[in-house]
Amino acid sequence: MSANPFAVNSAQITDIIQESPSIKTLRLDPKDKFEFSTGQFAELTVPDKGEAPFTPSSSMYNTDYIDITIMKTGFVTNHIHQLEPGNRVGLRGPFGNEYPLEDWENKDILIMGGGVGMAPTRSLLLSLLDRKEDFNRIIYLVGARTPKDMIYKDEVEEWRKYKDVEIIRGVDEVPEGQEWNEEVGLITTLIEKIDINPENNPAVVCGPPVMMKFSTLELIDYGYSEENIYLSMEKKMYCGHGQCRHCMIGNYYTCKDGPVFTYHQIKDEENIWK
Amino acid sequence: MLIPKEHFFQFLKSSVSKEGSGFSEVILPYKNDDDLFFINYSGQREPALNYYRTIDPLRIYFYFPREKVYPIKTDNYKRLIVGATACDLRALNLLDKALVKGDFTDPVYNDWRKSTYIISADCEEIADTCHCTLLNGKPYPDNNYDINLSSYEDNFVLQIGSKKGEELLEMLEKTGKTKEESEAVKERIEKNRSSVVEDLREQNKDFNYNGDYTQVRNVDPDKWWEDQEECIGCGACTNICPTCYCMILNDESNQQEFIKVRSQDSCQLHGYSKVAAGDSPRPKMRDRFRNRYLCKFEYMKEDFDELGCVGCGRCIDSCAGEIDIREVMHKMLNQVKQKKA
Repeated sequence: MSANPFAVNSAQITDIIQESPSIKTLRLDPKDKFEFSTGQFAELTVPDKGEAPFTPSSSMYNTDYIDITIMKTGFVTNHIHQLEPGNRVGLRGPFGNEYPLEDWENKDILIMGGGVGMAPTRSLLLSLLDRKEDFNRIIYLVGARTPKDMIYKDEVEEWRKYKDVEIIRGVDEVPEGQEWNEEVGLITTLIEKIDINPENNPAVVCGPPVMMKFSTLELIDYGYSEENIYLSMEKKMYCGHGQCRHCMIGNYYTCKDGPVFTYHQIKDEENIWK
Repeated sequence: MLIPKEHFFQFLKSSVSKEGSGFSEVILPYKNDDDLFFINYSGQREPALNYYRTIDPLRIYFYFPREKVYPIKTDNYKRLIVGATACDLRALNLLDKALVKGDFTDPVYNDWRKSTYIISADCEEIADTCHCTLLNGKPYPDNNYDINLSSYEDNFVLQIGSKKGEELLEMLEKTGKTKEESEAVKERIEKNRSSVVEDLREQNKDFNYNGDYTQVRNVDPDKWWEDQEECIGCGACTNICPTCYCMILNDESNQQEFIKVRSQDSCQLHGYSKVAAGDSPRPKMRDRFRNRYLCKFEYMKEDFDELGCVGCGRCIDSCAGEIDIREVMHKMLNQVKQKKA
């Protein structure tokens, strides 16, 4: 292989959507073609500030633009939140593996997204919807801390219009002054509300570590096998191609062997939820 | 092939001159008290070949502590490194697998590898911490060199190991006189080599490395912590290791261009695997201490079919806590055996 894995593709920000007080979606127009499969991630560079890994939140079949949804949580993301349409960022990648959509054809797919962990699952959902005829039911469980933290608010009704798509959203609590007329309770409690056959069907989980941990345990309780629980892991993916070794989970590279792992693959590794 | 040392050194001297063989740089070890260091050879100092490994690992000439990796330009740079030892070549072989022959190519490492000619040398002496034989290594190179030098009286015996080696030989023969070595010389060299192997065995006879390296991860963590107590987490062991290649990819982009710089990192440092929200899978020093061993003896072996330890002993020399990798592995492998029994 001769391509420089550190090469950066320039991209212009065409739009910014404020999803919640701490989460924004950047809509990007890459200079050179940027194709990815849903589940894969990219490294995003902010000139003068730094680089960090993110998973696109748009459909893999969308060739018009790439969405990346980002929570303000550290140095680079704070600066990303100060960017404006017209600004230029860098993209490297895509890196890592993808959700095995081919294996999921004609199956019932359960997706769980918590907080900003909704971003990769939005990409998955939109990719599935783009070829909905290949899949059976899609059940999407969404969790957020409060109604204000719930992202993609304006899109949910559109998604609900699809046949065999069920979306259940829950918030941990409804503080005074906020309105909410859907479920209240941790995302793990939403699992009780669904009726799905766990046998041979995949379940996808993405969210904060503690949410992923308890959702996984809940799914096993529900009857899902470890091999059918797909986790989108996040570690410190610096380089993206298995060189820097920062993102290792045991001897797995999150950037190369992941970020999508089945629970079965990594359950015996140390500190996977940290 | 036999060449008088004098002729060989003349070749080196001429190599650094403009009219010489076109090397932009000639790098070789010199000796300061008991320590050997690589220097950029100017033709003045006497090179110290056929001793033992240098203080600095050969790795740093191919994988710099700080290096721009994007954008890069390639030029017709040509370098000659003389006096590399077997342990460092073995490490370079692992780095080749990790950085060139796998799923990706580090373009800068690859450029350095391509543009560098390596003349290695047999170790005829050993440092106190040398222990390549514990890792099934030898104090003389089997492969991965362009030319290898064994010392015989006032001559070097040359072993050609590659196409680049043939090129070098051609250059050498322009000014130097070579001749075929006799069987007696060959025997003598074998004898020298065996005697260094014996010295290494004697030096390391108290350490038993027989055992299943992949099982040390199952040793009771408390046993690991006993050895970790003296560790201050400075990262010297990884910085000086010839196979460690962990790095941070620094972004130094500005409004005009995107720039990526890789710089050396160490899994022994606390910030190493911290994620954005602040969690770290290895928050305690002891987790990081053990990780280094698992990486060297299990992960690298699994990934590259090469052990991450070549027995150069540099980490022992550099450790502020006087931790000896041989003692730790000896103990851990012993624990594995006890567990099995």
